[in-house]
Amino acid sequence: MNQAKKLIYFDNAATTFPKPQTVYDRMDQFIRSEAANPGRSGHRMAVEAEAVIDRARNEIAKLFGVKDPHRIVFTLNCTDALNMAIKGALENGGHVVSTQLEHNSVLRPLNALVKAGRISLTRVPHSKEGVVDPADIRKSIKKETRLVVMTHASNVTGSLQPVREIGKIVRETDAWFLVDAAQTAGCFPIDVEADAIDLLAFPGHKALFGPMGTGGLYVGPRVELSAWREGGTGGDSKSPTQPEELPFFLEGGTPNAVGIAGLSEGVRFILQEGLPMIRQHEFHLISRLREGLGAIPAVTLYGPMDAKHTTSTLAFNLKGVEPQEIGAILDQSFGIAARAGLHCAPMIHQSMGTYPAGCLRFSPGYFNTREEVDCAVQAIREIQKNFSNP
Amino acid sequence: MNNPDISRYHRQYLLPQIGEEGQRKISSSRVVVLGCGALGSILANHLARAGAGWMRIVDRDFVELNNLQRQVLFDEDDIRRNLPKAIAAKEKVEKINSSITVEALVVDVNYANIESLIEGTDLVMDGMDNFETRFVINDACVKNGLPWIYGGCIGTHGITMTIIPGKTPCLRCVFESAPPPELSPTCDTAGVLGPAVNIIASLQATEAIKFLSGNIQALNKTLYTFDAWTHEAKALKIENLHQKINCPTCGQKNFEYLKGEKGSRSASLCGRNAVQISRDEPLNLDFKDLAAKLKRVGEVTYNVFLLKFKTGEYEITLFPDGRAIIQGTHDIAQARTLYSKYVSV
Ligand SMILES: Cc1ncc(COP(=O)(O)O)c(C=O)c1O
Ligand SMILES: [Zn+2]
Repeated sequence: MNQAKKLIYFDNAATTFPKPQTVYDRMDQFIRSEAANPGRSGHRMAVEAEAVIDRARNEIAKLFGVKDPHRIVFTLNCTDALNMAIKGALENGGHVVSTQLEHNSVLRPLNALVKAGRISLTRVPHSKEGVVDPADIRKSIKKETRLVVMTHASNVTGSLQPVREIGKIVRETDAWFLVDAAQTAGCFPIDVEADAIDLLAFPGHKALFGPMGTGGLYVGPRVELSAWREGGTGGDSKSPTQPEELPFFLEGGTPNAVGIAGLSEGVRFILQEGLPMIRQHEFHLISRLREGLGAIPAVTLYGPMDAKHTTSTLAFNLKGVEPQEIGAILDQSFGIAARAGLHCAPMIHQSMGTYPAGCLRFSPGYFNTREEVDCAVQAIREIQKNFSNP
Repeated sequence: MNNPDISRYHRQYLLPQIGEEGQRKISSSRVVVLGCGALGSILANHLARAGAGWMRIVDRDFVELNNLQRQVLFDEDDIRRNLPKAIAAKEKVEKINSSITVEALVVDVNYANIESLIEGTDLVMDGMDNFETRFVINDACVKNGLPWIYGGCIGTHGITMTIIPGKTPCLRCVFESAPPPELSPTCDTAGVLGPAVNIIASLQATEAIKFLSGNIQALNKTLYTFDAWTHEAKALKIENLHQKINCPTCGQKNFEYLKGEKGSRSASLCGRNAVQISRDEPLNLDFKDLAAKLKRVGEVTYNVFLLKFKTGEYEITLFPDGRAIIQGTHDIAQARTLYSKYVSV
């Protein structure tokens, strides 16, 4: 119907699109002329490739207030980092505190450990708006609690969590605090010191503007993880086991250097634009979207009423139309890309009463405009009209 | 051949066109029957009786009551035993002729497995029910230089064509792409006459016997259509299409269907008992025509954005570009079957 129209990409919570031009350019240049195997050889190209990765580590460390960049470990994506952290921290079992907001990349590893009889688990509930109460976390921590793991913001409702308060609570105990920053890394301030975060898992391909296949884990000084995968690290080849110092301890194998070169450029972009500037633009978009959709009577909005308490993500439903259907209509009749369904986070839908159909999620990003937001609101209005009097 | 006694085929090799030499060729041949519904079960029956020495039967479906009206190899017992069509067919065919070897495969036919399904055979028989898979078969057969015999039947009307790669036009020389769903009825929306399928499949089987016995020059060179109700037959000359037009398959050797570049895409939907199917090239569907067609077999409602069709435990939501959400299954192959049954591809 609207082939001529430009696609409106509203699925930045899944992965950001587009990326800053410098990301494309850098990856192209890197793979064409610089991509030797980092750290594996002494020749100039290999040394340069290693330097590119180190630079990425430094930039990411800067963004998250990490003092020692070697504590940033590169991973395949956020799921990989979460698995590394959860399984690495719980090798000897123990008790874990988590929430019902979590993505499957936290739910499933924990469920598997429970099923295997390795850990016991307490899942704290959340408010109607999708926010966890720090008091509930405090109450759930026991003497044998090893790990508190939670998302920084729900990927369904966008609801931001009081991680700083919770971090302080956990810091008073012997437990470690693992934060899933899939929805916040790059678009919301994170400071591992001030937030008392011990482990921070983040994707490179979302708000950090890197390509897919990138991500990372910050491993704080309080934490000791077990090895994840053993293998070549370049230096220290004589050692019969994995070198014990970070990042090599957790980084066996040739890294995604091309991706990391791109990620580095994405992080630079954020540092240059300034995170407050990015946050402000996204805040305006999501507030406008919330207002526009909220004015349609057949629309139900989920999550916090005030966009101050959310990322740039909004979950909603339209009365009488299946979310998957709205998704398909938006895609083909309006050129709007948005995600419908459960968003890999089934438990929050159960508590919101949107299980199993789920809901529709709009997640505008830094490169979206207010005109695009208005278009999307108009599209929902038109769909609503056609379904109320077919 | 497992059994050197060829006397059981006496009436067949008595035919001067076949003779003992032709029979020996048939007996040492390997054929594959893709799809074992109405066409396929008749093909398997004829080929087993004719003595094709080795046969592979491929079908992913199970025998259902509404199949028995036309799918001659099956009976009520197969339904009670909940047998897959391929297995039921193998059992029957082995009873008909114990001297041949039959392999039954309960799998979907698609671009990823087609080359392994036809590998090591001399001839490919089309018993499919949708155009998209036929284009996949066509790509694979042209690429591998394997002859195949196309057959299709809807209502009282059937069509067949014999494709010898390099010698005859291929399916895509004749049909550039599948007809749009509003214009193409399916057996499940328009019905099908049992004897009509028998006629077309019997013509296909005759082509197979000619080919396998070495009677290449006698093969059908036309696009042959026949209406069992009116006895109207047409033999469309297509020889001149061969290598004259720039066929993407046999001309350019660009096997788009085999590479999975063309054809529908499917994805299981997150958290739902549903599969989404979308087309490589968007359509612009006329819901009015389609609704009229579907009303005969289920409940239909539509507006400008979508059409909903309910039948039994399934609900198909169809969008103007041909995309569909099929509720009631998370099995992609089954959803594709439903899509081709009711929407057609
Ligand atoms: C909250 C949350 N955690 C984890 C993930 C998994 O991230 P990735 O796809 O990078 O593994 C996602 C992304 O979908 C997410 O939204
Ligand atoms: Zn051709």
